[in-house]
Amino acid sequence: MSESINEKTIVNSKSLRWKLGPLWSLVSLLLLVYLVTVGNSYLGDSVSVQMQYALVNLVIVVALYMFIGTSGVLSFGHVAFVALGAWTVGLLTIDPTLKRNLLSDLFPFLFELQAPWLPAILIGGLVGGLLALIVGPVLMRLNGLQAGIATFALLLVVGQVLTYWSSIGPRSGQSMVGIPEVLDLQTTMLFALGAIIFAWLYQRTRPARLLRATREDGIAAAAAGINIVTQRTIAFALSGVVAGVAGGLFALTNRVVQASLFGIELTFITLAMLVLGGMLSLSGAVIGALVFSLIDLILVRFQNGLEIGSYVVSLPQGARPIILGVILVLMLIFRPSGLTGGREIVWPFRRTAPLPGVPPTNE
Amino acid sequence: MNQLVQSLVDAISAGATLGLAALSIGLVFGVIRLANFAAGEIITASGYSIIFTWQLGWYVAIPIAIIIGVILSLLMELGVFSRMRTATPATLLVASFGLSFLLQRVYELLFTNNVQTAAVAPELARTISVGGIRFQLLSLATIVIAGVILFALIQFLNKSIWGLQLQAAAADFRTARLVGIPASRVIGLSFALSGILAAAVAFVTTVQTGAVGPTFGVPIVILALIGAVIGGIDKISGALAGGFLVGFATSMLASWLPSDMSNFRDAYVFLLVIVVLIFRPSGLLVRGGTVRT
Repeated sequence: MSESINEKTIVNSKSLRWKLGPLWSLVSLLLLVYLVTVGNSYLGDSVSVQMQYALVNLVIVVALYMFIGTSGVLSFGHVAFVALGAWTVGLLTIDPTLKRNLLSDLFPFLFELQAPWLPAILIGGLVGGLLALIVGPVLMRLNGLQAGIATFALLLVVGQVLTYWSSIGPRSGQSMVGIPEVLDLQTTMLFALGAIIFAWLYQRTRPARLLRATREDGIAAAAAGINIVTQRTIAFALSGVVAGVAGGLFALTNRVVQASLFGIELTFITLAMLVLGGMLSLSGAVIGALVFSLIDLILVRFQNGLEIGSYVVSLPQGARPIILGVILVLMLIFRPSGLTGGREIVWPFRRTAPLPGVPPTNE
Repeated sequence: MNQLVQSLVDAISAGATLGLAALSIGLVFGVIRLANFAAGEIITASGYSIIFTWQLGWYVAIPIAIIIGVILSLLMELGVFSRMRTATPATLLVASFGLSFLLQRVYELLFTNNVQTAAVAPELARTISVGGIRFQLLSLATIVIAGVILFALIQFLNKSIWGLQLQAAAADFRTARLVGIPASRVIGLSFALSGILAAAVAFVTTVQTGAVGPTFGVPIVILALIGAVIGGIDKISGALAGGFLVGFATSMLASWLPSDMSNFRDAYVFLLVIVVLIFRPSGLLVRGGTVRT
């Protein structure tokens, strides 16, 4: 990777700048999410609600990035961890008497199990991470399309179990209702910022660097003594935690949880956000999620009829997902490596470091 | 005994349907490394055309379904995938997901969210009795149709120059181009054949259900894609065998699982898929190295 050469030369010349560079990329992302959230919260209640969903999706995309971006392995399975997080939060926060009436087939001990919403979200994250940790050592042996299909199978298995196993949830195909209304936009934003910081910290660690090495060249990395399965499992479990937290946020945002919500469609949309932004950088994940959500937000405005001067422009019902689909396909055709091209946001005033041995040019 | 034979015939027919669908995906994957999730929407398009034109007679409906399948398949290639030749298989898969999502919404807009219904080939939807054992005529017909299509395809692939070129490109696209096989023709051919197979799958399935909605092809393509990968999507025979296996296993589980477990039927199939992938990552029929992806 040429990046490591660059980093080394920068360390030699100005170590402070080396430290501030990546930090700047983190701060600018946090600032971006903050500004977009605050900006949207001034646009009325319906936009605020939509923004909250957008932030939940952003957390899922960050989780996807932590695994897919770092390991280079495709995963369709993360929405399964999202589902587990949502399920956990639902079971822990629904009022016990309501639970007894609505979810009568539950295991008896689940009736008693209660937690306030904040710990419930974190427990949801742990449950998601635990499943990832259990299946990781097996699934992480696979590469490429096989890994994609195996994680996809995981998604479908979890979906089936949550749909039909009434001992841990509602009867087949029904939904869990009665999740308390406690989560506001600001708190959701704090969780989103937390997820971004968590992913940024992870990508600075040694396991993440080792995993990126396996992404660039699996054979060389293995020859250098990196255990690919172990490193991938670490990333899978950590991203599973983030996905589980996202599931908890989703449960508290939507306040109705149903297995069919966590299927192929959510998987596809979040993956599309990641690809749209550029799946090899955290900036790509965040920008992809924000841009996708903003386009959607604008389209919703148009769908409800937008007054421009004396004209009212309105989209026909059903045109919105079509436009989103067209934008995605066009993006993939014309910019397959995403909006950010897999780079992080860099300090805009940084002079490019001279390569060693190359004399500075006079201009 | 009686029940066993019936369930076997049903399972073979389900396997044959999914085998054709998996072949439709495998043919394209072999040439340009695209696992086309949007193949499901080709099946849906052909399905709609069969529902709408069946009253004009089968000799009109079936050719139209095939033509629509081929045209849509070629349009996908020309409009989207031909512009993404340098993309990785992962990006291609996501693009085909996007295309699939897009087409489903278009179908919703054109034909509403409700299913369109028509009695397609009602004469096939009855049971016949052979030697005291009752069979669904459709199951037998499906097996025959799949057999005929497969025979024709194998003849085409092995006897015609275009078929041989396609096989060469599937084995090693770069070398095939080096020896002068025209890339665009081979790619177009694989998409066209994929469209024909999709139309065949659409016919068999519409006879069975008599109803087509916007997501008609999705469950078929999911199982077919999974089948193609566990069979070895890199080889045409692997994709066919894998698709057959998944269809066969799904149908057998549906017949024989105790009723309180039958809800989890698909979960067992998918667990089986994970197990197969762990032990034979490059596919059941493929020996040695892993798939180039």
